[in-house]
Amino acid sequence: MGVLVSQALVSGILMGLVFSLIALGLTIIFGVMNIVNFAHGEFLMIGMYAAYWSAVILSMEPLLTLPIAAAVGFALGIASYYLLVRHLLRGPMIAQLLGTFGLMLFLRYLALFIFGPNFKTLSKGILIGKTSMMGPVVIDWSKFFIGLLSLAGFLLVYWLISYTKTGKALLATSIDAEAASYMGIKTEWMNGLAWGLGGATVGIAGALLTNFYYVYPTIGMLFCMLAFATVALGGFGSIKGAFLAGLIIGLIETFFGQFVSSELKFAVIYALYFIVVALRPEGMFGWK
Amino acid sequence: MEVIKDIFDFKDFSRIEKVILPLFFIFLLIFPWTTRSSFAKAVMINFMLYSIFAMGWNSIGGHGGQVALGNAQYVGIGAYTVALFMVWWNMPYWFSMPVGVIIAIGWSLMIGYPLFRLRGHYFAIATIAVSLVLQDIFLNWELVGEARGICLPFKETPNFLYMEFTSENYYYYFLFAIFAAGFLYMNWFRKSKLAYQLKALKANEDAADSLGVDIRWAKTKAYAITATFAAVGGSFYAVYHMYIDPYAIMCLDLSILIALTAMLGGAGSFWGPIIGAAILVPLDRYLGAWLGGIRVLLGVDFMIYAFMIMVIAAVEPRGIWGLVLRARKRR
Repeated sequence: MGVLVSQALVSGILMGLVFSLIALGLTIIFGVMNIVNFAHGEFLMIGMYAAYWSAVILSMEPLLTLPIAAAVGFALGIASYYLLVRHLLRGPMIAQLLGTFGLMLFLRYLALFIFGPNFKTLSKGILIGKTSMMGPVVIDWSKFFIGLLSLAGFLLVYWLISYTKTGKALLATSIDAEAASYMGIKTEWMNGLAWGLGGATVGIAGALLTNFYYVYPTIGMLFCMLAFATVALGGFGSIKGAFLAGLIIGLIETFFGQFVSSELKFAVIYALYFIVVALRPEGMFGWK
Repeated sequence: MEVIKDIFDFKDFSRIEKVILPLFFIFLLIFPWTTRSSFAKAVMINFMLYSIFAMGWNSIGGHGGQVALGNAQYVGIGAYTVALFMVWWNMPYWFSMPVGVIIAIGWSLMIGYPLFRLRGHYFAIATIAVSLVLQDIFLNWELVGEARGICLPFKETPNFLYMEFTSENYYYYFLFAIFAAGFLYMNWFRKSKLAYQLKALKANEDAADSLGVDIRWAKTKAYAITATFAAVGGSFYAVYHMYIDPYAIMCLDLSILIALTAMLGGAGSFWGPIIGAAILVPLDRYLGAWLGGIRVLLGVDFMIYAFMIMVIAAVEPRGIWGLVLRARKRR
């Protein structure tokens, strides 16, 4: 029993770190411009495909595809903002929902059209398939390093936002866009940057996931919902909140999946989400 | 009496609408006699079904401005009640349909009341979450057939009590009756006190509150109307397809499609849901039949469809009804 618990604890934390990284992009976009990106899961899916195909075609080590997936995600985020989201801002909230839904469907079926419906997994890579024992606990190398890399990615973005000038401008825009524009901050570019940054972080998360998860065109929905739950639990727009909530959700997922029922583990997460927003709509650390 | 007068009162319609209204209903009435293609009839049945769903959604989402994205759960409740009552106790449709509606309303009150503290995105995502929980439960609940779903028992002869027919025309006219009832109800609804309260809270919740509108209660009532339309449509779905499973009727895609139909046509407008369904359903079916058969073009039909949605959202967020209003203004 003790072994099972510590095993679940380790995998829960490692998975939670990935969830945090996925949720980070969503919370940045929401924090800066108060828009929920329903295509977030599809951004992840595209990051996964970018990593998968560059690993297969260029026969690259999967970990080295991270920059490619990040660049693809960044470009996708920027393109989405300038081609679509910018035009949605004039309309009411309902138009923003409709627009990002359209984007979600478009990307999903574009992937189906280009890549086909089959599941794809990577079979080669320095981390894939390797395990080692830490006492009685089995540690899957891919999950372990991916957890660590997620953490590193998260900290990097946190540092970018908190300590660089651009990051501070981004933060200022999220607190009060109008006042920020009076201070000479180009808020339009900040919005675009938020989408680019959101896309890049989720692209990296996708490239990391490809090391131990299969990819297919409709995978986005599940992770999108988990990211929503993570962000809502942590508080919309809160970066610290996304981190902690990601860990909590990773732990719930593995513990519930291991000890109660693996079919209902996501239902429990959604139910938790429902209870949290019903009791405290702003989440644990929300300020909007 | 006052109510009946209001139901049939179309005086505030523009002249074009007054012409279109009878033509539209005459078209719906004679349609089954104009074609022998059962594909075309199926498209029309789906058009009316999605109009019903979208009209219901319009009450909370359009009039009230609360983007509810969990409507598939009420469709599921309506469909499962009819199917399970028929399988377990051989209950006729006419008994189980109202029971399903009552259950759906009860469920909508239970989740609606806590949810209506939330605004905007928070509400939208919370409705998705609840709907997904319900879908996951149904997918894993042995009593209701899990992911395998439920087949409705076949009767030996066509049967009005169980709504089982061999000809599509019967289903068509039955759904037409529901559609007409929903249409007339919405015509009354848009002039009701609740509709004005919703309009006020949509424009400014705090102002409406200070003027004495019970915001939470108004939203809850509107949400119950939404649930009713969805459950009635769901009960029809069950007897029409004779087979239901959680992937087909409780999935998020259906919830989204319901909201999209109304938003595309024009959320909050009277004709919006019908226009939306008239565009989306045939587009979806015919594009699917035309392109879906070609393996190389897998997914292209949905890409066209998604592209249209994005263009509408960016160019005219009031939907197609907004384009109509613009054209009217210009004249």
